[in-house]
Amino acid sequence: MIISKKVEFSASHICRSAQLSDAENDFVYGAAANPLGHGHNYVVEVAIKGQPDPVTGMILDLKRLKEILEDKVLGVYDHRLLNREVEPFATVVPTVENIAIDIWKRLEPHITGRARLHSVRVHETGELFAEYRGER
Amino acid sequence: MTVRLGRRYGFPASHRLHSPALTDAENRATYGKCDNPHGHGHNYEVELTVRGPVDPVTGRVVDLKTLDGLAEREILAPLRYRDLNKEVPAFRSAVPTTENLAFEVDRRLRLAWPGAFGADGPVLEKVRIWETERNICEVADFV
Repeated sequence: MIISKKVEFSASHICRSAQLSDAENDFVYGAAANPLGHGHNYVVEVAIKGQPDPVTGMILDLKRLKEILEDKVLGVYDHRLLNREVEPFATVVPTVENIAIDIWKRLEPHITGRARLHSVRVHETGELFAEYRGER
Repeated sequence: MTVRLGRRYGFPASHRLHSPALTDAENRATYGKCDNPHGHGHNYEVELTVRGPVDPVTGRVVDLKTLDGLAEREILAPLRYRDLNKEVPAFRSAVPTTENLAFEVDRRLRLAWPGAFGADGPVLEKVRIWETERNICEVADFV
């Protein structure tokens, strides 16, 4: 069984790769390459997988999941400039794809007991999302 | 690392659900008010799910300009503000239900996909269409 929880954070980022020229960055990322940055209201959907506990009827206590999300994701990401304030984005471009991978890495070790992390879906806008399921 | 990227587009269009293989009474019973001879419209939404490895330099699964260009050329420009029954060849024979529209959008994208992304590019995993907020259809190619 899969159960999911949705949380939101607001953050700014700059989509520029140090390995590309200015012209290449502008071409690849368009307006998102603005060196002064821009922001989004990100929505994160976290899905966990497992069999519910026969006594509590829960895969994972959602209060516990909320605490993990607050501690490991929102506390780190909310109202931050991702490139300067959140590892690993000093060197990794904070595209929505890389944000989904990073949030997975932060959460996965803490989803324990009967529950396993199934997917992290990050919506950057209503028109764009990335989903990571831990695949290499 | 394999990531799925979802991209959403919208287009308004009109249609009439009416099968020439059914009688008028059968059409009315099957499709109800969607069989209105004058047609009616929806704000369709299309969500494409693209799967692939994240490029280590750009951090992207797919070049969004290429994807948006393909979507515009293959689905949005041909379907936007169209009468699907009269102006889209596929629906001269098939009834433009959400199911058949999803097949048609999927078919158009898959035909043009290798030309846009090459043989080793990202994979189109899923096409999902909203006819309304409550009526959704998806075509998926799960591996």
